[in-house]
Amino acid sequence: MDDGRPIFLQIAESLESQILDGTLLEEEQIPSINALAAFHRINPATALKGVTMLVDAGTLYKRRGIGMFVAEGSRERLRESRRAEFRDAHIRPLAHRAQELGLTSAQLHDMITKEMNR
Amino acid sequence: MNAIATRSPNATTPQRLLNVVRLHVANPFPTLVAPWLITFVIFGLNLAVWNIVAQAAGGVENLDADAFQYNGGILWIVVFMMVVGVQAMSLTFPFALGFAVTRRDFFWGSALYFVLLTVLYSTGLTALAWLERATDGWGIGGAFFQPFGALEESLNVVWFLFFAAMLLFFFVGAAVSAVWVRWRANGLYVFFIALAALIVGGLWVVGQLDAWAQIGEFFSTTSATAIAAWTLPVTAVSAIVGYLLLRRATSKG
Amino acid sequence: MTAIVEAQGLTKRFGKVTAVNDVTFTLDEGAIHGLLGRNGAGKTTLMHVMTGQDFATEGHVRIFGESPVENAAVLGRTCFIKESQVYPDDFRGKHVLRAARWFYPHWNDALAQRLVDTFQAPLDRKMKKMSRGQRSAVGVIVALASRAELTFLDEPYAGLDAVARKHFYDLLLEDYLEHPRTFVLSTHLIDEAAPLLQRVLVIDKGELVIDADADSLRATATTLVGKASDVERFAAGREVLDRTAIGAIASVTLTGLSEQDKREAASAGLETTPVSLQELIVRRTGGAVTEEVSA
Repeated sequence: MDDGRPIFLQIAESLESQILDGTLLEEEQIPSINALAAFHRINPATALKGVTMLVDAGTLYKRRGIGMFVAEGSRERLRESRRAEFRDAHIRPLAHRAQELGLTSAQLHDMITKEMNR
Repeated sequence: MNAIATRSPNATTPQRLLNVVRLHVANPFPTLVAPWLITFVIFGLNLAVWNIVAQAAGGVENLDADAFQYNGGILWIVVFMMVVGVQAMSLTFPFALGFAVTRRDFFWGSALYFVLLTVLYSTGLTALAWLERATDGWGIGGAFFQPFGALEESLNVVWFLFFAAMLLFFFVGAAVSAVWVRWRANGLYVFFIALAALIVGGLWVVGQLDAWAQIGEFFSTTSATAIAAWTLPVTAVSAIVGYLLLRRATSKG
Repeated sequence: MTAIVEAQGLTKRFGKVTAVNDVTFTLDEGAIHGLLGRNGAGKTTLMHVMTGQDFATEGHVRIFGESPVENAAVLGRTCFIKESQVYPDDFRGKHVLRAARWFYPHWNDALAQRLVDTFQAPLDRKMKKMSRGQRSAVGVIVALASRAELTFLDEPYAGLDAVARKHFYDLLLEDYLEHPRTFVLSTHLIDEAAPLLQRVLVIDKGELVIDADADSLRATATTLVGKASDVERFAAGREVLDRTAIGAIASVTLTGLSEQDKREAASAGLETTPVSLQELIVRRTGGAVTEEVSA
């Protein structure tokens, strides 16, 4: 669990991915901070930071004395934000490169369609 | 996140001193087992030599009555106590410091251990001296546990001589070793140069005052008990000096 | 978080050598701290002063709110394990553990036994005859089984192989989760230990150069690679830790890039790579961190 980025971000992203792919269902309880820390071999303060980030974002919510749960509608909201990230991280540079190479929007579209049908 | 909430019950001073004593016997071999083993080996060798000599002479009766009575073999154990004192400061001290023991607790806990060891060995050796007397010198008039004419003294005096001598050597060893722990080799150079100067100076003063005769007289007229008693203040001063040196010592080389 | 250790203007000089120079910091109760830096940077000296084993030349240090010097009440709540620990002559591993039981009030025999099994510590061997790794194993056993409220570990796993080190991290974390307490860990193997750390203090030539939350520190540096002109545009006005170039291609390591900045850099066709904690510290302390050669 270390690709150089802050670990709490990686924890948050791993939980998000589990929500996205349905491993964690909405209204389901997520593992405890200690369980996350032990599993990922990280400091529990870091795990807490990752979870808190998702609570602040509304992805998770806290039931006092019980634990953290996946919020209703989280999956859809995550999907949307991941799509926006995908656009920023991939489509924008792609468009940028395409312009440098003199590709038109239609040509690029054509290339993408072919790739997606492969 | 909550850290360990319970404050540990703080050990009282006697408990902490006792822990230091226990630290010295965590490995009992060097101070409780080895000395007796070595003593018995030396004793056995002496006994063997005495028997060989007696046999060569054609029987003990052909020898002077005190032929086997001026033996210093047992004094090795007194010297050994100095080694124990040295090792306690040079090796056990940094270890104890590493185990969160204060210098004060370590020194006085060790001092307590020295006293306990001294009592143990004085008593053990005196018991053997008693046995030696009871068996008429192991059957051949030998004196191993009563060195240098201590035969004429009472067993109480024998005990006290062992006690005072071992205690002195413990604390002198500890104090000299504390010089090493505190200032390393340089400290020892200065110490031994100062000691040599003191001895030479002392001899010179005695020579100047023409006092050799008086000194000789002092030792011939003063009882062994009194001389032994005179070592006690020296021992006490060594202990205090040792503590003062160790109080600011660190575990680093 | 309350401060379990407070150091104020702490300086330690050995003759003309200044080992620790005017250092001020606090350590958080219940956190795992990394005390990092190159060999001879002053980490061990600092730990010696924090545990009253050495005396500060200037400034002061408080642990549990009191001076540690000759203070049995607070020292009894600490445990300091170092590679350079001296053992009495003829002491075997079992004697060390026997003594530990008397000096650490929270000592746990069951945990000690488990650690002995895990690290296969040869308790019947004399300490001075043990290999470096075996001595380290004994130290690690004492450090964890002591369950001291404040535990210092100075290069605890010198000579331990990768498998044993992994056991160490796992057991440290496991026991810490069950019995939260304060750790201060000094190590060369920064990237290995990094995920366990909550706070990072980096000391260089006796001075405290970094004192930060481990996670925020990790986020502080990014390497950008791309066309020199684009790279330089991003670098302008920012702290550059490292800069290299081949022809028109440049690589800079910057601090203080936000997520937004990184996205912009990516959009501008720059390759962004996060900088690991170890790399960051190497760059901040000017030079290669000595790699530990494991047995």
